[in-house]
Amino acid sequence: MNLQDFLAMEEGRDRDELIDLRSLDLVSEYDSHLMCPICHCPFVEPVRLQCDHVFCGSCLSSAITTFRSADSEEFPCPSCRNPTQEVSASVPRLLINMCDEIRVRCPLITEGCQEIIPRGHVQSHVEKYCGYRLLPCPDGSCDQMTRSKDVGMDQKCIHRVRRCPHCEEDVLEHEYEEHERELCPVLEVTCVDCETVVTKGALREHIESCPEVAIPCTASKYACPVKIRRADIAEHEQSCPIVAMGPYFETQNTRLKSLESSMRHLQQRNEIFEDGLANIRATLVESTRLGANSNSGGQPTQSGREQQSSARADVDTDDPADIAASVFSSNATTYLLSLHESLREEVSQLSHAITDLDVRASMAIMNECLRIKEDIAHTNAAVNSVRMQVQWLMNPRLHQGARGGAVRTNTTDNESSAAGPSHAAGQTLGPLRPRRPSDGGREGTKL
Amino acid sequence: MGSIKRISKELTELTESPPEGIMVELADESNVYEWRVKMDGPEGSPFHNGKFLVKLSLPTEYPFKPPTVSFATKIYHPNVTNDEKGSMCLGMLRADEWKPSSKIAAVLQFARQLLAEPMPDDAVEGRIAEQYKNDRTRYEEVAREWTRKYAC
Repeated sequence: MNLQDFLAMEEGRDRDELIDLRSLDLVSEYDSHLMCPICHCPFVEPVRLQCDHVFCGSCLSSAITTFRSADSEEFPCPSCRNPTQEVSASVPRLLINMCDEIRVRCPLITEGCQEIIPRGHVQSHVEKYCGYRLLPCPDGSCDQMTRSKDVGMDQKCIHRVRRCPHCEEDVLEHEYEEHERELCPVLEVTCVDCETVVTKGALREHIESCPEVAIPCTASKYACPVKIRRADIAEHEQSCPIVAMGPYFETQNTRLKSLESSMRHLQQRNEIFEDGLANIRATLVESTRLGANSNSGGQPTQSGREQQSSARADVDTDDPADIAASVFSSNATTYLLSLHESLREEVSQLSHAITDLDVRASMAIMNECLRIKEDIAHTNAAVNSVRMQVQWLMNPRLHQGARGGAVRTNTTDNESSAAGPSHAAGQTLGPLRPRRPSDGGREGTKL
Repeated sequence: MGSIKRISKELTELTESPPEGIMVELADESNVYEWRVKMDGPEGSPFHNGKFLVKLSLPTEYPFKPPTVSFATKIYHPNVTNDEKGSMCLGMLRADEWKPSSKIAAVLQFARQLLAEPMPDDAVEGRIAEQYKNDRTRYEEVAREWTRKYAC
């Protein structure tokens, strides 16, 4: 917002708040960066300038009115004197929170409030919770002030003075009842036991010493039922057997008390130990689980899978409590060590099984290879023989084709030559036969 | 209103932890705007061993207007007027140089620093400034003489 708006806003702000936050008595130390450079107090409703300097809103508004030359649009920043036109009310929340955190004394300390509260809560504390806030007396005709905690439910004025009709003393209204009952020095009363007349104020004292008042035997707390006049009590105590037992009871009582306290102490310790034990037990069970799981982790071979399932079965059948019980029958460390050993054994077994399997698998593969090689050789031979036959069958036709049907007489000759190896025939007929690129290879195999 | 609070705050700070060679009190307990400052001449300057009484008066608009500093004790210094006012010329105290965030403690420390290192280019007593620049031994002699005469 620009300066005019800011000044108008500061002007319009409700200034009749109860408390001046700047005059509070700060209890905690605060960072010097939280101090407004103008009023030297922690920021109150801070605002920010373009140059990032922060001031209290009210301080800044008075600075603007002082420094600005006749309604111009800008004024120098009170810290760096950079010309400024904009005032921003958005100050980091952090800053406001830190200022509100500063601990202060309740401003009504003059009335007796001893509270120490965060500065941010002072306003609400004074308005709502502080019992020492002065309110006008609920009775409109009385012009005195009353602490808010003294304004009772009945909304009575406590300042009205009532004159005690007996002692002629002026007593405040809310204290009158007590005055009449006990304190008034003039009113007299008769002691019910000895019929002496004493003033009310002295009655309590009198009862303490009146010889006629029935009082219990000193051993009454150890069940002596006697309750007689004070004058006779000494005589009774001389003969009372329970009084004689008194010191003994006393010592027994103290012993019991000390035993009880030590037992409570031991109980507490026991609880602590049990807690610790439960913790250890839980961790152990957890680690057994983990161990079993990691055991079954990366073994896809069959034997590995068998082991894994058996291990899991072990864990599953063993109730955690059983494991725990066996654990605690011996030392926990030994148990862990043995667990470690057995796991190690399992691992070595697994590795053996793996190598075994490896060997077997490679053997099987080799066997298969040999078999397949043989098969291929067989097939090759068969193919060759088929080829030979085909050639043998083809030869006569080719001869026929080459010479035309004319030389019928040569057929027998041809047949005899075809019965021999077709190699020669093939070579002689070479140019006539359609050749395929793979033929050479075939011939190689054949030879 | 706000000024009184800030002034009393600075006064408490200055009396509780005074800067070296500076002692502060109110000239009149009922008036926070007039201060009496006792300043020791800084070591290494011709004013060493002298005790100078400085009057600091704060305007009611403080901290928006600068305070004024004047020497009640006569002093031979290019930046202090050689009359009964003894007003001191301090850059930071000029109205257009003043910043509300400056503290009185800083002003006093600056004034004391000025005793050790005068600023002849900013002088109010041209003759003393001239002498300071051209005839340093003579200047120091006279300053020491005045210190002995008026400030002991």
